[in-house]
Amino acid sequence: MTDLVPTIDPNPLPAPHWVFDVLLVTTFVLHILAMNLVLGGGALALLARWRLRNGEIGQRISRDLARKLPIFLPAAITLGIAPLLFVQVLYGQFLYTSSILMAWPWFLVLLALTATYYGFYFVSFRGGRPGGGAGVVLACSMILVLWIGFVFSNNLTLSQSPERWGEKYLASPSGWHLNLGEPTLFPRFLHFAVAAVAVGGLFLVVSSLANWKRDPDYARQTLKLGGKAFTYATMAQFIVGIAFLITLPRELRMLPLGDDLLATVLFLVAVAGGLGAIFLMSDALRKENVRVAALLVPGLTAVVIACMSVLRDLLRNGYLQRHLHPGELAVKTQWSVLPLFLLLFLGGVALWFLMLRRYGLLRKDPAPDRPAAP
Amino acid sequence: MNYPVWHVAFGSGLLMALVATLHVFVSHFAVGGGLFLVVTERRARRTGDLALLGWLRAHTKFFVLVTVVFGAISGVGIWFTIGLISPTATSNLIHAYVWGWAIEWVFFFLEISAALFYLYGWDKLEPRVHEWFGWIYFVNAYASLVIINGIITFMLTSGTWVKDHQFWSGFFNPTYFPSLALRSAIALALAGVYASITASVQKDLALKARLVRWSAWWTVPSLALLVPLAYWYIRQVPATAWASARGGMPTATGFAVAAAALLAVTLALTLLALVRPARMHLAFSLVVAVAAFGAMASFEMVREAIRKPFVIANYLYANSVYSADGPGGYGEEAINQKGILQTARWVSAREPTGGGEVAAGAEVFRTECESCHSRDGYRGVKRYLALRRWDRERIQAMLGGLGLMHNGAMPAFVGTEAERAALAAYLSTVEPVSTEEAAAASDGATLFGQNCSMCHRASADDPLFQNLARDPGAAVESLKDLTSLFPLMPSLKLSDQQRAALVQWIDGRRGEKGFEAQPQGGSSR
Repeated sequence: MTDLVPTIDPNPLPAPHWVFDVLLVTTFVLHILAMNLVLGGGALALLARWRLRNGEIGQRISRDLARKLPIFLPAAITLGIAPLLFVQVLYGQFLYTSSILMAWPWFLVLLALTATYYGFYFVSFRGGRPGGGAGVVLACSMILVLWIGFVFSNNLTLSQSPERWGEKYLASPSGWHLNLGEPTLFPRFLHFAVAAVAVGGLFLVVSSLANWKRDPDYARQTLKLGGKAFTYATMAQFIVGIAFLITLPRELRMLPLGDDLLATVLFLVAVAGGLGAIFLMSDALRKENVRVAALLVPGLTAVVIACMSVLRDLLRNGYLQRHLHPGELAVKTQWSVLPLFLLLFLGGVALWFLMLRRYGLLRKDPAPDRPAAP
Repeated sequence: MNYPVWHVAFGSGLLMALVATLHVFVSHFAVGGGLFLVVTERRARRTGDLALLGWLRAHTKFFVLVTVVFGAISGVGIWFTIGLISPTATSNLIHAYVWGWAIEWVFFFLEISAALFYLYGWDKLEPRVHEWFGWIYFVNAYASLVIINGIITFMLTSGTWVKDHQFWSGFFNPTYFPSLALRSAIALALAGVYASITASVQKDLALKARLVRWSAWWTVPSLALLVPLAYWYIRQVPATAWASARGGMPTATGFAVAAAALLAVTLALTLLALVRPARMHLAFSLVVAVAAFGAMASFEMVREAIRKPFVIANYLYANSVYSADGPGGYGEEAINQKGILQTARWVSAREPTGGGEVAAGAEVFRTECESCHSRDGYRGVKRYLALRRWDRERIQAMLGGLGLMHNGAMPAFVGTEAERAALAAYLSTVEPVSTEEAAAASDGATLFGQNCSMCHRASADDPLFQNLARDPGAAVESLKDLTSLFPLMPSLKLSDQQRAALVQWIDGRRGEKGFEAQPQGGSSR
């Protein structure tokens, strides 16, 4: 077969390229945070349920986390729609093709998502009633979540490997392929999955701050579990990250290692931020300094995630360098509708915060004036 | 051809139809049901009806589980699925309308957030604030319909967009407003249909009776309103396209009849429920819901069918061939010159001659036909061929008039003569018919059915019945060379007896009582 990268449709980009780049990365970060809460929150709910089986507090942590899952999942879905839209604007010709090659796994994500969603509601509505299969349902739902993530990793890596398309389609046009031959696949998938556990841990830490005065015993336990999960996961991330780096093709591996200034700076900031976060968290755990753990560490982690997301985007452009022709897409900004979007977007954000406020979520919880004594 | 074609043995079109119809049935409920929630809550609080309020709280849970979960995922599902089946159309729709989608996403995000606040707020919020969340929900849900409606109707009636490529000229296209009105009425009707489901399981019979009557207030007027709104909508669809639903295209016609019939059934059953509202049974409410689903799904199927051969009207055919100059040579004319196998990227056999005909024909089939047709599943060609009994030569002749069949439901064949021959070679292996068998038919009705009925309807206004010479001798003579009658007709060679039998049958139909007075149907484009 000849060059397989499809020709783009003739419509010009309705805004400059960078506008979509910014929107893509920003909404991707939001999506990945929500996704992390689903995956990490669910995993920790299971851990608290099973590891801390005898402790009543463990059960309570598990229950409280599980109750949040029906909120986290729609957040991940709704926030996922935007990056899925913008990635199609910029990289549609790659993503449609890889999706078709793995059409069934891709399509079945929808069924898995539906099952997970109803599973979460089942667990959440069952509340604290013991038994009744809530643990099993939650475990099954989490397996599906992992599978969905794995399918996404397959599709995104396949979309960046046009050289592998022809052979797969020739072997079968029925859309049952995955991208298992991709060396970065598993490290990449693990990089996302392990990050989710860390962010899930951070969620517990933040919620412990909210409960610190009202329910100190419970808050202490959540801080401990969340903080530990964050620390271990972030440590593991260094091993997974190195594996990811090693499996990258040489010219791409060197991008964050000196070949590309921006990539290198982002990489260094992310590594330093990760190390700093581990240090701060373990120190905060030792001193039970919930403010550092719940405010400083999440802030630092947000910076790390943002850096990593931009890095991911640079890496994609590295992969697709030979196939991307920036000039191919003409730009004709739709001035008659772009301002309307921006207006509605800002209005939407304002309305969303108003909703949070009227629901009582922005009311200040009594936070500790100073760190509790160890 | 620019993109690979996903091969689904039972037909990818079926998958699309399934996801899309299930989604619209839930998403319209998500809109109308939102208004239902707030209006009912207001009513219950005003009258101090605690029983109604209690039911509404449970109904909210049902509403969220249906709309926020299934509605949201199946909506993403449509997107996943069209990307798999019509990547070219999706890519066009994304690039032309990304700001529309982005605006819709803002509304969608607010809608989902408000729905969850409304659900969890039942125990927590003051009544006034709770109702406020309900209104935020409804306004955003309706706003997302306002946006999506623009893009869906654009695909059916692209308006002046094809010339000026302006966002708003495609958005506010001829069917925009009738479709918005129609869908609003459907949304209100479905609010009542779904409400009777949760009403039917109520133990308090007095409450149940009140609920069933209250639901009917939503369903009955809205369903009645659908009749004039549908008329308005149809009037805005180009007559040539609507002709497909008036007999020109079997699929469109069948679904149009089904939509009307099931609409009547839904209305009748809802009225029937009012006779003994306290006895409303879950099974009955589900039957009403199934009827409503059938009506709604049929309407969407009609819309998709009359849009054919296009996926975006007057711009892009359903098989991803551009009607005018396409990028990368994917326009109709360019492909006819270069050949489809030479234009397509995702084919392995490019040589339609020299022994590779069948393999090349299979590639042509996948590239050009498989986005709508399967081999022997959904819209399977095997079934059509079995009905017509064509041999290889006749298939090849008929493929020349593909664009005329069933009121132009299909795009014309694109490619070279050799590729058309290769496609015929492949199709003749799908349903093998010998030359003798293909030439065996002797009675006029069978001959008409096998050879003419794809393009001609046995109707007084059909060109065949209008224009064929009244003198039998001259008529038989004129059928000798069909291409001289109209260049796109197949060069069909019927025997003298067959032509005579056909003419005799046509004359017989013409002579039948009332034949001339038949309603004007769709003539071939």
